[in-house]
Parts: sequence; structure tokens; C-alpha cells
Amino acid sequence: MPYAYGRARGPIPHRSTFRHVGGAGASLRSTREVYVSRLHAEHLFKVFGKRPEAAVERLKSGASREELRADGTTAAVIDASFEVEAGQIFVVMGLSGSGKSTLLRMLNGLLEPTAGRVLYDGQDLTALAPRELREVRSRHISMVFQHFALFPHRSVLENAAYGLEVQGVARKEREERAAEALELAGLGGWETSWPDELSGGMQQRVGLARALATDADLLLMDESFSALDPLIRRDMQDQLLDLQTRLKKTIVFITHDLNEAMRLGDRIAVMRDGRVVQNGTAEDILVRPANDYVASFIQDVDRSRVLTAGSIMDAPTAPGSADEVLAAAPATVEADTPVHELFTPFSHSDLPVAVTDERGVLTGVVTRDRLLAALGDEPKAQDAVKAPAVAPVVPAAAQAKEVPAGA
Amino acid sequence: MPRFHFGHWVESAVSWLQTHLSWLFDIINTVLSGAYDGVGDVLRGPSPLLMAGILAVIAWWLRGLLPAVLAFAGLALVDSFGLWDRAMSTLALVLVASLITLLLAVPLGIWAARSRAVSGALRPVLDVMQTMPAFVYLLPGVMFFSIGPLPGLIATIVFSMPPGVRMTELGIRQVDGELVEAAKAFGTTPRDTLTRVQLPLALPTIMAGVNQVIMLALSMVVIAGMAGAGGLGEAVYAAVTQVDIGGGVESGIAVVVLAVYLDRMTGALNQRVSPLGRRALAKSAATTARAAFLRYRPGTAVATVGVVVLALVAGGMSIAGNGGKESVAAGKNVGGGKQVRLGYFPWDEAVASTYLWQNILEDRGYKPDVKQLDPGPLYTALAQGQMDVQLDSWLPTTHKQYMDRYKDRLTDLGSWYGPTSLELTVPSYVKGIDSLEDLKGKGDLFGGKIVGIESSAGMMGTLNDKVLKEYGLDGEYKVVSSSTSAMLAELDRAVKKKEPIVTTLWSPHWAYGAHDLKKLKDPKGAWGKGEQIHAVGKKDFEKDFPRIAEWLKNFKMSEKDLSSLEVELKNGGKGKEKESARRWLDAHPGLEDKLAPVSA
Repeated sequence: MPYAYGRARGPIPHRSTFRHVGGAGASLRSTREVYVSRLHAEHLFKVFGKRPEAAVERLKSGASREELRADGTTAAVIDASFEVEAGQIFVVMGLSGSGKSTLLRMLNGLLEPTAGRVLYDGQDLTALAPRELREVRSRHISMVFQHFALFPHRSVLENAAYGLEVQGVARKEREERAAEALELAGLGGWETSWPDELSGGMQQRVGLARALATDADLLLMDESFSALDPLIRRDMQDQLLDLQTRLKKTIVFITHDLNEAMRLGDRIAVMRDGRVVQNGTAEDILVRPANDYVASFIQDVDRSRVLTAGSIMDAPTAPGSADEVLAAAPATVEADTPVHELFTPFSHSDLPVAVTDERGVLTGVVTRDRLLAALGDEPKAQDAVKAPAVAPVVPAAAQAKEVPAGA
Repeated sequence: MPRFHFGHWVESAVSWLQTHLSWLFDIINTVLSGAYDGVGDVLRGPSPLLMAGILAVIAWWLRGLLPAVLAFAGLALVDSFGLWDRAMSTLALVLVASLITLLLAVPLGIWAARSRAVSGALRPVLDVMQTMPAFVYLLPGVMFFSIGPLPGLIATIVFSMPPGVRMTELGIRQVDGELVEAAKAFGTTPRDTLTRVQLPLALPTIMAGVNQVIMLALSMVVIAGMAGAGGLGEAVYAAVTQVDIGGGVESGIAVVVLAVYLDRMTGALNQRVSPLGRRALAKSAATTARAAFLRYRPGTAVATVGVVVLALVAGGMSIAGNGGKESVAAGKNVGGGKQVRLGYFPWDEAVASTYLWQNILEDRGYKPDVKQLDPGPLYTALAQGQMDVQLDSWLPTTHKQYMDRYKDRLTDLGSWYGPTSLELTVPSYVKGIDSLEDLKGKGDLFGGKIVGIESSAGMMGTLNDKVLKEYGLDGEYKVVSSSTSAMLAELDRAVKKKEPIVTTLWSPHWAYGAHDLKKLKDPKGAWGKGEQIHAVGKKDFEKDFPRIAEWLKNFKMSEKDLSSLEVELKNGGKGKEKESARRWLDAHPGLEDKLAPVSA
């Protein structure tokens, strides 16, 4: 089955929900048992130019970005806060100049925030000494770059093993692990090649292998697929999603491509002019854009591939019992089925399509009228599509909190 | 605008440094001279063809068989010119200077690449180093380090440093920012980022800088030769000042052979030392497969073995070859092997008299050490006691400035030739013109032209301001200023074609021995009185060398003797001055005992 936009995976029964520590090298601090999200950005500011701290104070008291620019300082990121759960793909989307790359570089300390904190597993990265910060980068956070950033004087294997080399892993072991990572990234057998002998897609696979080889839990991906051809880009997205089902990394993914964001992101933060203007699931953004900017952004998205049956269904009302509805329905789908899969059933029946949960219990129905209304409604800021009658779209993170671990 | 006495301050600073920091200069001197002598001894150690073989093996390793053969041929040619030892001295100078330059330049370049402030501060300094004429710091160099290879070495380092710094900085700055960021993102320390990412990727650019440094160093050897650095520079300089065209071309070719060798080798070194270079090499080897043996290059290990074997052979031969030494005739050994340092500047009578005395002093058991310098450095060296004596001091006019400046620190040993004279000269075949007065109305015969020398020369001023006016020639003749060597070349050309020519000339001059010339009489005395040529020693010369001082005080030479000696030297050719002077001495039996009597 091809991956649909915005697959709403089930809640992730991951140990980070209630944190059990002591797993293989997953934790920075050994005795924490309290709940924390894996990555937490708290009121991050980044201002370039003279007297950045003063500029932050002005921003906090309501000065605009343009006022600062007139004084020669540039506010790249303004008051960005978000949380990323373990095992999630968190996409930061924005046009160029929106501050998304700057934001990413503050997450691993390549850029020091002018104000605010970055908490990783509860540890404040902004408070670390340079040496400790390097240690965190080398073992726990890795990065994939837009233009691959492969070292041209190293072979594919040496590139993939770079992070391990920095960690001081012995040659034999690091080459084994790098070869495994290359295998994972789909580049087995190319170890002795050189970066300039590979196509762009293959080069980025090396970049990915280099990031995976260190066993870092957090992957920062900076427009990693933007430089690739559309077809290759799609391949790489598929590969990333496939890897993610197996490896369950925590990923922060930067992109300017809305379709890519919708496709990959468990959650999406939309950035504009240095601020996070909306943070939610793909459906959230599509159904309830926070403002006109987001609304205009999502104009061209194929809504039928993002909206799910669950988000537009009505409560199963009379006539008839649940069993009758199920029997009569032209099709039975689950809540996370994208609505474009409902077109065919409706083409030969007027009756509502049934929506069930995993156990086959009827949770709602979608009528043809409802479907057409949902697709036809241009989403607008403020007065967006009416909230679905029964099941309001719950952000994945919130769902995760509600469902006990292991459910 | 008030006069800004910058030059004066610099002079004060130099003399302050000289008195207060001499210990520092002594240390630098010891270290650098040691390095230079060491490298030079190694290079000159093996017999020339063996050394050429070693250099050819290096060429084979770096570039392949054909370049190796060409390198051997070129170096053999240098040997056949009789310039081998000089070439190796030059090579030693270039290698030592380049090495020191790079030891300073690469760290500076790295520093500049990491700090904008450093880069901004270095830029004007580098500009000054690159553009300031070398002569300007050659003389202070002599004051600090005495004559010899050191001032040349320093001048070379100063001159060749800028491209080393700039290319290093450029190479590091050129490294893709994303790669540096990638290194940081994986937790690489700044030092490892430099050594694992930035330097390897900057290496091709840095190697281009190394190549530039070496080429610039080589281009400085002629200038270094003027301050006593020896080597090919001295040969070129001497040949040019003495219009020895053949000798000049030969030493020029030797410089070119070295330049091409060093350029190609450092160019190829990049392919061996940088990972990217090795990769490009492997790639091109894989794509073209023709004439494999021509393109075969021995691996580093094989090449090292080759060089070591040749070097061992060389070592064995030099041990075996150390036979007996010539000895001085018994009874005449009054010098007892004492070293005496004779300096000269490349004026013909200076060369002639210096090599004459070198032979005589050797026969008397001294160890004369002969060195060519420019007048400025030579007087400075005498005043500082780094030189013992020089024989070509034109007094009271020409060298007045030096004598005035260093008067207490020099010893005048009296005149051995005089009076000198300045004159206009025509070839003897130009009939009817014997005196300056005869020139009037004959302007057409000579094309209205008097062939002069450097416009800065004192006699050119006298000629224009006084002589031409006195004889009413100033409207009719135009004095063409050129250079001494160009004037002599012009004279030679005219004499061969029997064309009429009038030139400025002076006595003593070998041209009077080589061509049949007429000095035009000066009945009105417009040229003024002639000068005397003195021998001048350092302050303590009479105390250190009482016998030689005695001999030099009694030393006299006639114009006929001096001209014939000069012609003998000129005919003997470059690099054979000592042998030529010996030949002349042998042809004048009894002269030696007259000049340097040994009371039995």
C-alpha cells in the first residue's frame, strides 16, 4: 500500500511516554523517571547583529521584526516553543528566510540561542560547556544536510563512519557499523566508492547512513531532500518512513515543501518571519489554518489525500442499528482512511460509508453530502470548516497522553 | 608640508637593534647558517652526476620516467657549465628559505583564516613585504647578519612569504561551509575540524602556495647574490656587470633548470600528499592506458630505497675520494693557515687585483676567502669587522661617502694604482680625432651621439655639465645614457664593424687591453683630476695581519699590467678567475716575490 499523506499512525506505545530508563544508551541522565517529551524548545530567540539581548527584550515587549531590521539587527527566530515526542517526525515548514534552518541549528547548539532553552531528555543543552555539547552532538544528535555535506576526500565508508571516528570507536568496529548503516540506507556494496561517483540521491543516502551510524536518537534533517529530483525525493521520503517504522528515531525535519511536510510529519510547525504561526497535525493545519497566511499556503494541497474519514464523519444516527448500517454501507473504512478512498464506494451508492475502530465497532458514518461539503469548503482562518460532530481531531501527542502505554 | 624624517627614525631603530639585540641576531644567524650550510653540504657532497641521479629518481617518483630523464639531462647540463656547486648552493638557499617561509606562512595563514581581525591586520603587512624593493632591506640585513647567505636568506623569506600566507588562508576559507558545519554537527573539536576536514581539502591550494613560494625564492637568488649569498645569483650578477654574455646565459640557464625542476616537482607533490590529488591521479591512470612504462611511477617506498642507495654510494665515494691536500712551498709559509677575508665588488680592477692577491696569499700560506659584494654591503661589512680587506677603494671622490660614514672603523692601506682618469674614448681606427677639441664639427661622423653609462654615475654629470660646455660640444652631441655593460657591448659591436664611436670610459679598464682605443686628450682639464685606488682594511687589519698590511702598502701596479691582467681574467672566463690570475702570475716571474717579499 502506498503511503498516504498524513498517515495517522496509532498512538506510539513508546517508552518515553512513561519513561523507563536504562535502555541501551538512550538516556543522558540515568535516574529520571518523570515524563518529559524527548525534545523541548522553550521560547527560543535568535537575533543576529549588535546587542542581540536588547533586541530580544524589545521583541518581547512587542517590537516587530521590521523595527529591528531598521536598526540593523535581524531577528531570525522569535519566541519559538514546541515539543517533540520520542519516535515522532516533527516537520518545521516555512519559506526561505522564515528562520527554520536557524531554529534547527539551535537544537544541536551549532548556533547558540540569544534567549530561551533547548531541553533534550530534560537536559538543558544551552547550559552545556562546549566540550559537553560536542559530546552530545557526537553521541545523541546527528544531522543530515541539504547539500549532503559529504567529505570529498573520504570514501563512502569513511564518510559513513565519520561520526564513529569522532567518538573514538576503533577502526574495525566503526567500519562494521558504518557498513550496516549503509545497508540500512540502501547503499550496501558502495563502500569503496567516492562521493563524487554517486548520484545526488545516493549521496544523500550516504548522508543518512552517516547520521544513522552513530546510533543517535535525534535526527536533524535540514531540507535534506530539497536538492533531489521529484522522483528521487519521493523514494527517499518512502525510505525514511520505512526506516522510521523500524528504528523509531526522533526526527526534526525542515522543509519548504508543504506536500513533503504533510507526507512525513506527525506534527507540523509552520514558520513565518521567524515565528511559529501554527503547530499541529497535517489535518489540523488543513482544516483549521491558524491565519490567512497558513490558509493561503495550503490552498493547493489535495485535501482528499489529507482529510481522513474520521475527521469528517458524523455520529451513527438512526435509521437502524449499527449492524444494519454496517450491512448497508457500500464500504467500511477506518478512521485514518484518507477520504479519496471513499470516492469509489460513493460512485455506486447513495448510502453512507461506515467508519469503524480497530475492533470493527461502528464509530461513525460519512455521507456523500458531508464528503462533498468537506472537500468543497475553502478553509479560512477563524471560520474554518465546522468541527466534526463526533470526533474532534486530537493532536497525536495529546492522543499519546490519553492512551496508556502498551494500549 | 614639513619634512617627515621617517628614514632617519628607521636608521636610529636599526642601529639601536644592532647594539641591543645583537645576541638575538647571533642566534638567528647561527641557526639559519647552520641549516643552510648543512643542506648545502648534503647537496654538494655527492659527485654531481650522482646527485643529479638522486634528483632524477625523485622526479621519477613524482612525475614519471620522461620528466626524470629530462631532469637528469638538465642537471647534467648545469654540471657541464661548471656551475654545479653554485647551483647546489642556490638550491640549498631556496630549500632552506622555502622551508622556513612555510613554517611561518602556513600557521599564519591558518590563523588568518580563523580570525577576520588577524586577516585584516596581516594584509597590509604582506603587501609591504611583497612590494618593498628587496635592496631596501638587504642592507639592514647585512648590518644585522653580516654578509654571506643570511641577508639573502632573510630577503628571500620576506619576499616569498606573502603567497604562502595568502594561499593557506584562501584554501581554508574556500572549504565548503556546510562541510565544516557537518564536522561540527558530529561533535568534532575545532582542532580536528582543522586537521581532518579543512587542511586536507585546502591542501591543493596550499600546495599551489608552496609552489609560488619556491618560485619567488628562486627569483630572489640574483639579488641575494649581491649580498654575498654566492651560488648562481653571484654568477649571474658578476657576468652581467662584466658583460660576460656567455657566462650570463649559462648561469641564467642553470637558474632556469632549477626553476623548472622545482616547479614541476612541487606541482606534482600535491598529487602525492593530498588525498584529493591521489584520487585524481588514480582516476587519470585508470582512464588512459597508453605507454604504461612511460607513466609508471615507483611507489614512495621504492623511490625512497632508490634515493637512499644512491646516497650511500655517494657517501662511500666521498670517503674514498678524500686523499691528500696540496701543500704550500716550504719556507714561504708565513700565514700559517690563517684565514683572511677579501671582499670585492664586480668592478674589473677589483676582481683582477683580488684574485691576484688570492693566489699570492695562498702561496704565502694564508687561507684567503674571497667574496663578491655590492659596494654598500662591503663597506658595511668592513666597518663591522666581518670582512678583512678590499682593494678597490676609489678616493678621494667616488667612495667618499663610505669613507666618511665609517672613517674610524676602516684602515686606509694606501694607493696601489693612480691616477685614474675619466675620458671620452674612440677606437684607434678613427683617424684625426685625438683630443676633445677635435670632436667639434665631427658630430655627423658619430651620429651626434656619445655612448654613456648609467645616468646616475658621477662622470655622466661631469660630462654633461662641464666637459661638453668647455669644448662647445653641447649642441652637437647628445649623451646617451644606458649602462656600463650596454656601453661596452656597443663599443664591442662598433669595433667589430669598424664603425666610428665615441664612448665614456675610464682608466684602468680592461677595454684598453682588449681593444685598440684612444683616450681623447683633455687640454682644458675639464674632467678634473684623477683619483687613486686604495686598499682599505677593517679597523684592526694592521694588528691582525701585519705582514699583509705591509705588502699592500707597498703594492703598486701600472696601467699596462693591470689591463693585461684584466684581459687575462676576461678571456679565462667566468668561474676561472683564480686560475687565470695564476696563469698571469706565472707569466710574470719574480713579480710574486716583489709584491710579497718573504724575508728568510
